[in-house]
Amino acid sequence: MKLKKLVSLLLVAAMTVSLAACGSGNDKKTSSGDENGTTEEGSVDKDALVIWTITNDQKTQAEKWAEETGNKVDVTVIESGDYPTKLQAALGGGSKDVDVIVGEPQMLEDFFDAGFFEDLDQAPYNAQDYAGQIVDYVWEVGQDSDGVQRAISYQITPAGIYYRRDIAQNVFGTDDPVEIGKLFADYDTVLQTAQTLKEAGYRCFASDGEITYFSGQSAWVIDGVLNVDQARYDYMDLCVELYQQDLTAYASQWSTPWYQAMSGPVPVLTAEDNAWSEDFAEETADRDTTEVFAFGLPSWGVLTLRDNVGDTSGKWGVCSGPAYGFGGGTYLGISTFSEKKDLAWDFIKWCTLNEETADWWIEDSEGDTVSLVSALEKHADDENAVYGGQKLYQFWQEQAAGIDYSKVTRYDKQIGDAWGTAISKIKTGEMTKDEAIAEFYDTVEATFPGEVTVNRD
Amino acid sequence: MAKKIKKVILYLALTILAVMCMVPFLLMIVNATRSGVEITKSFTLIPGDSLKENWEIMNNFLDVFLGMRNSLLVAVPCTLLTAYFSAITAYAMAVYKFKGNKVLFSVIVVFMMIPGQLGLIGFYNLCNTLHLIDTYIPLILPAIAAPGTVFFLRQYVQSSLSPALLEAARIDGAGELLIFHRIVLPIMSPGIATMSIMGFIGNWNAYLTPMLILNSQKKYTLPVMVAALKNSTDMQSNQGAIYLTVALSVIPIMLVFCFFSRYIISSISAGSVKE
Repeated sequence: MKLKKLVSLLLVAAMTVSLAACGSGNDKKTSSGDENGTTEEGSVDKDALVIWTITNDQKTQAEKWAEETGNKVDVTVIESGDYPTKLQAALGGGSKDVDVIVGEPQMLEDFFDAGFFEDLDQAPYNAQDYAGQIVDYVWEVGQDSDGVQRAISYQITPAGIYYRRDIAQNVFGTDDPVEIGKLFADYDTVLQTAQTLKEAGYRCFASDGEITYFSGQSAWVIDGVLNVDQARYDYMDLCVELYQQDLTAYASQWSTPWYQAMSGPVPVLTAEDNAWSEDFAEETADRDTTEVFAFGLPSWGVLTLRDNVGDTSGKWGVCSGPAYGFGGGTYLGISTFSEKKDLAWDFIKWCTLNEETADWWIEDSEGDTVSLVSALEKHADDENAVYGGQKLYQFWQEQAAGIDYSKVTRYDKQIGDAWGTAISKIKTGEMTKDEAIAEFYDTVEATFPGEVTVNRD
Repeated sequence: MAKKIKKVILYLALTILAVMCMVPFLLMIVNATRSGVEITKSFTLIPGDSLKENWEIMNNFLDVFLGMRNSLLVAVPCTLLTAYFSAITAYAMAVYKFKGNKVLFSVIVVFMMIPGQLGLIGFYNLCNTLHLIDTYIPLILPAIAAPGTVFFLRQYVQSSLSPALLEAARIDGAGELLIFHRIVLPIMSPGIATMSIMGFIGNWNAYLTPMLILNSQKKYTLPVMVAALKNSTDMQSNQGAIYLTVALSVIPIMLVFCFFSRYIISSISAGSVKE
């Protein structure tokens, strides 16, 4: 009986505590409400501009904006995988809770179709007055299928090949970005370059995913029909060759050895090694080591490399890849249901179209690439020490100019992933090329029934 | 001798299992002391020296104790509501004979099968219309109806509560509520404790609904905070801070488990009528 008494006492105690907790919780809510002048419904200030975003960038920007203009802001950072769910739940129900919303390129088309983003072409925004001040492809990404401007980004994310200048000097006798760019001019040349590097004792890439950003030569879907361009097959062949001829270090992108390869020698891996294994370091300790020549990443890779290059800092360069491409980027827009659209537009203009902001942002983010043309031109001669004093802003602007955004469709992510799966099945010998491509067609048909027609050849 | 060997094998197997269970936790704690660059570059069980930096990154972005307080504000009332109301429902369904009892019970079983995520957008719209967005009420109140717990406790009452006890209490003149509070609740407590631990852990770790309902960062519960931290800056640089936050967020669950786990065990032997 003693135990039961104890248990019941405990339960009663727990209940009282919880009641007290509830009570104190409510007290706190009201007291903090008084401090911040909040309403009964929540602690969001009625006058504050509410921003729902996926990165901390907007938090930094909003704080600075609030400081400069004296407006109040309330920034909420949401995990990007859940961001579409959150937005659909809130704006699908016509919620007026949020003023500024954001999106990454692959999310935008769905958001635009759902009508979440305000039309910026109409008065009082008249966004088209600012056309030309922002890098072209970014401007186009922010337009819906009818060409109406709905979102603007403060950054550009063109892709480039990051390479080791010292290795280039050793193997090719030059480290000039233009010359090295020629070694990556098309898929065949990339393969040759990779072979030359292997003969010289280096590996061209750490993973075989380094040319992903340069794989789009044509749209995946044209007028509702799946379009597999010859360049796609060439890209597939290149990936398979790179893998099967030991031309990469067999690391997976974003895995431990992949990062290791940025700072110097890495063990030569074979296709069988599991880079995610916990005793990876011991298993590979006595292997021969090699150095990796290049990485293919969008312009934000500048920061990734800066943090990981270690002793090789200053020995890097950036050159163009076999095609133009871009990856990521955060686009800002106004929620259709917002009640503070003017304020929201002020904020977006401040973030994207203000040269002073751009200057500050370049400094504060330690090297993010902005989308404002005048700022890019102003910083064109800035030299980046990690990259041997290369003038990166100039380079990125050139790369961005080559991007043809009309190739991008909403199906890209899923079709691209399916193509990637097919490639990895071929390279590991799990399937023949024909089998893998047939499976790819099946996947696309099953993923977008009635939306995308598949003509098998 | 054979017994000894058996024991050795048994202990060995159990030790291996224990190590397998502990290593991920250990890795988490170790990684909490290492910098993001170190974490992505290599695995090790030797602690690093970036605990302070991780702590600063974390504090810069979120207030982990505020997150804990928020999570507690949701999880504790939820757990208690679930425990009390499920117990009283389960008791009524197990003991009283009334029309529609069976129908109600099958309705509860059916509702157990429906995943809660299905009605999310409707739930959001309902809360929006009632002006309950960005409050804890939509997170706490629905805990009153927990079909899974009612189902479990009903079986528990049927197996552990003897009708003789109720008859005795009625003869002594106790009202029905008094009987429930003074006699039935203590007898059910091992079962309730079991379900409460599950419920508490579930509520503490709940992510989807809080993520949708809560808008202001100050009200975020811990899992939502961690997810936001994960996304806030460059994915590599705050790895260590994420590990640290997750490590901290596990502490209350461990505490709860330490205090209540014996009730799970005692529920096996608990009984009130000696025969």
